[in-house]
Amino acid sequence: MGQCLICQNWVSEQPSLAQLLMMASIHAPVLCRSCQQRFIRIEGPTCPICGRQQTKTTVCHDCLRWQKEGSLPLVNQALYQYNGAMKQFMHQYKFLGDYRLRQAFSAEIQARIKQRAGAMIVPIPVTPKTERTRGFNQVLGLLGNLTTTAALETRHVDKAIPQSSKNRQQRLLTEQPFQLTAGADKLIRGNRIVVVDDVYTTGRTLHHAAHLLKQAGALTVTSMTLAR
Amino acid sequence: MQINDLRDLIGRQLLAADLTPELLERPEVQSRPAIKKTTSGWVCNRCGQQLTSQTRLPHQQMYCQHCIQLGRVSTLTKLYTIAENHTFRQSQTPILTWQGRLSPNQLAASNRVAANFQQTVPHLLWAVTGAGKTEMLFAGLAEAIQAGKRIGIASPRIDVILELAPRIQAAFAHSELTVLYGKSPEPYHYCQLTLCTTHQLLRFYRAFDVLVIDEVDSFPFAGNVGLHFAAEHALNASGALLYLTATPDTTLLRLAKQNRLRVTYLPLRYHGFLLPEIHRHLAFNWRKRLARGRLPQLVQRKIQQNVKHHQRFLLFLPRVTDLDPVESALNQLNLAGRFATVHAAHPNRADIVMRMRTEQLDFLVTTTILERGVTFPGIDVMVLGADDPVFSVAALVQIAGRVGRKPSRPGGQVDFFCHGMAQNVLGARRMIQQLNRRGQRMGGKAWVNA
Ligand SMILES: [Zn+2]
Ligand SMILES: [Zn+2]
Ligand SMILES: [Zn+2]
Repeated sequence: MGQCLICQNWVSEQPSLAQLLMMASIHAPVLCRSCQQRFIRIEGPTCPICGRQQTKTTVCHDCLRWQKEGSLPLVNQALYQYNGAMKQFMHQYKFLGDYRLRQAFSAEIQARIKQRAGAMIVPIPVTPKTERTRGFNQVLGLLGNLTTTAALETRHVDKAIPQSSKNRQQRLLTEQPFQLTAGADKLIRGNRIVVVDDVYTTGRTLHHAAHLLKQAGALTVTSMTLAR
Repeated sequence: MQINDLRDLIGRQLLAADLTPELLERPEVQSRPAIKKTTSGWVCNRCGQQLTSQTRLPHQQMYCQHCIQLGRVSTLTKLYTIAENHTFRQSQTPILTWQGRLSPNQLAASNRVAANFQQTVPHLLWAVTGAGKTEMLFAGLAEAIQAGKRIGIASPRIDVILELAPRIQAAFAHSELTVLYGKSPEPYHYCQLTLCTTHQLLRFYRAFDVLVIDEVDSFPFAGNVGLHFAAEHALNASGALLYLTATPDTTLLRLAKQNRLRVTYLPLRYHGFLLPEIHRHLAFNWRKRLARGRLPQLVQRKIQQNVKHHQRFLLFLPRVTDLDPVESALNQLNLAGRFATVHAAHPNRADIVMRMRTEQLDFLVTTTILERGVTFPGIDVMVLGADDPVFSVAALVQIAGRVGRKPSRPGGQVDFFCHGMAQNVLGARRMIQQLNRRGQRMGGKAWVNA
């Protein structure tokens, strides 16, 4: 059928029912079974706010901290746990820039978004420099052919310290990284919006985005990420 | 880590992200596109492979998926280089500080190696395990160093590079040497001798006058188009390429037949004794027995005897998942010998191998990681499940070749335990028998245990 996107082994086994339902096309490359098994879907009890996998359905400590800081609650839905396999996946997709990997989860994430009929899809943007060197926005890659609204753009030309090397405190202190694109407020006003990002780590990125969109008159703002 | 020294870019091809911004600005730095368009499509200039439509980025950019682990090359990036100019520090005399002596057979092969370092036709030194192929390089390398040539020694296997580096450094004590691999702790620096993995050759461009590739038939070099391309392009246009192995694959043998590869052949070990032959034993349904916590009778007896007589050995198993059941079966035997299990991804791999080498262990239970390059003098080997398809003919010949590497014990016992008849085991036996027939004609003798 094709080569596994991650380990390059030939995938000869029959696609599972879930794969058949999720896949845009039967010829699209997939993950082999052993690579698939390393990713863990978020199922059962989760934090009602950020969507992280838990044993209980109470608000998690990260979200409690957001509440203390007076931030509006942002309900997030995440598809997968951010485990070792997902970290490795993100490394190859985002940092190495292996654009093919978007196909591993794009059908699944698109199917979930389609369940929110009528919502306006706003992807988290990347900086112009990242766009130039990476050649793509990893969130748009996941969203495939869905119609999206580029309501947000990054505010700083460049980030002095990369996200991953900051600690939580530093990240939370960083100011609003986004601004609305020209004319975006007219599109946003009165709409239900779902903001999409690849990974929910501290929630900072999504909280800043949601704050801005709410200010501009969005009716509701929720979010969806591939991993949490 | 980004490089900042201009000299570290000589004869290399790196990405902008590998260089400091200051270095990138220097006028001496040249660049060429990383991807080129040919009549048959887009081709990567680093690994020579075709790009597919799958790797099209938005805005019609293309990238290479094949060599992406070394940093992505794309139509957005360039390869940066400084042409090789041989400005490394010249070696001091005496060049060759190795004091050993070669046997007449080794000397003949060594002379051919040196002669072929002057030639552009690739050369294969096919020397049996334990022939002393590293020592046969020394004369040729010494000449090349003397002539001010730049030398690369590469292998697909990190183990082999790590084993080789101190021996090469000792043989050329007044020459500078750098060792380069994926996670090498020492930074690379420009000098006359470079030891690296074959993957790292993707980062060199027309650098070497002499390039040696050791264990050429092993993974991932064998059959890898990108790495073969990298080897050819790491070499300068008039450079000499030498392949080393004890077990050439069919591709190499075909090239030899077509006269596109010169072959020097040495079927005899340095001490003049023949290769130990493989003894085959039946171990029917050994995995089922193992699942019940027991080793096959014969295997158990051999292990007990070896431990009793202080005969050190390696026990090879086909799969990582076989290690735990074998370990618990061994633990039930209450052996007096100390042992450990090890596999490629074992966190303490290097430490365990070192403990075996320093004789703190009596035997090692292992998967195929130790089949080449690594030598423990005076050992025997056993393979449980030798008929498993993970063992190629070459791997089995290499495993048998671990035995008889000590001058005072130039032979030993090689026992393969199989569930059934298998082509790989028969093939390995046949290859060793053939090599020994040729070795006999050169005066080789079989070793008899006293
Ligand atoms: Zn896979
Ligand atoms: Zn939460
Ligand atoms: Zn390439």
